[in-house]
Amino acid sequence: MNVKTSYSGSTAVAVVDGRVDSANAKDFDEELSAIIDRGVSSLVVDCGGLNYISSAGLRVLLIAIRKTNEAGGGLALCSVPDHIREVLEVSGFVRLTKVFATAEEATASF
Amino acid sequence: MDARLDLDIGLDRKGPRRAVESFEQFALENDLPMDLVFKFQLALDELLTNVVSYAFDDDASDAVISLGFRVTDASLEAVLVDNGRPFNPLRDAPVPDLDLSAEDRQVGGLGIHLTKAFIHALTYERVDGWNRLNLMQPLGTHQEDQT
Repeated sequence: MNVKTSYSGSTAVAVVDGRVDSANAKDFDEELSAIIDRGVSSLVVDCGGLNYISSAGLRVLLIAIRKTNEAGGGLALCSVPDHIREVLEVSGFVRLTKVFATAEEATASF
Repeated sequence: MDARLDLDIGLDRKGPRRAVESFEQFALENDLPMDLVFKFQLALDELLTNVVSYAFDDDASDAVISLGFRVTDASLEAVLVDNGRPFNPLRDAPVPDLDLSAEDRQVGGLGIHLTKAFIHALTYERVDGWNRLNLMQPLGTHQEDQT
């Protein structure tokens, strides 16, 4: 799992690739927390390169959704592969966060 | 076709990942569809993570966790057995309320919820001190008949 982040004021786009499971969910949590701790309230998680996420990774997303909501912004997802989208739908996460086709659309939604 | 794979899973946190990676290799060698491979990986990851995290004391020296696969023209089957505490995830795991807001949502039970949604047939039994979970997915024409 790798996270590459670009910042624009209080908005950031975090491009995640690889897999997020119980073995590295803690690392994923630290990556997203560090971004939010830099003053980011509106966070786009670009899932274009994400090929796997388990409930441990969903837990990390949930924490980031709460933190960004509390900061007055929010979290949006973009470029979600079909099989990851199915995980988001079955777990009800599509009701907790918006999913966009591109990072540009997601950024413009804030 | 009749191919098998048997794995012994360690009690460490990386055990589930190693197991699903071994399964992925086995699945590719046997031309299983990627969508099915992903769902089995997720289900096994969730079930194994539960076992590794909760079924044994940290200093358990006699812990045995094993995972067996069998793929035939008719089906893909996985059997997960462990000699840990009795736990039926299909009955005992908390049921997540998917209608709650992010602030009120609990993540507990989500892994089992995904597992139940993604696996065609899932059964649990406790036999002679062993937990035994069986996962089965029909393949080929059998799949179309039953879905």
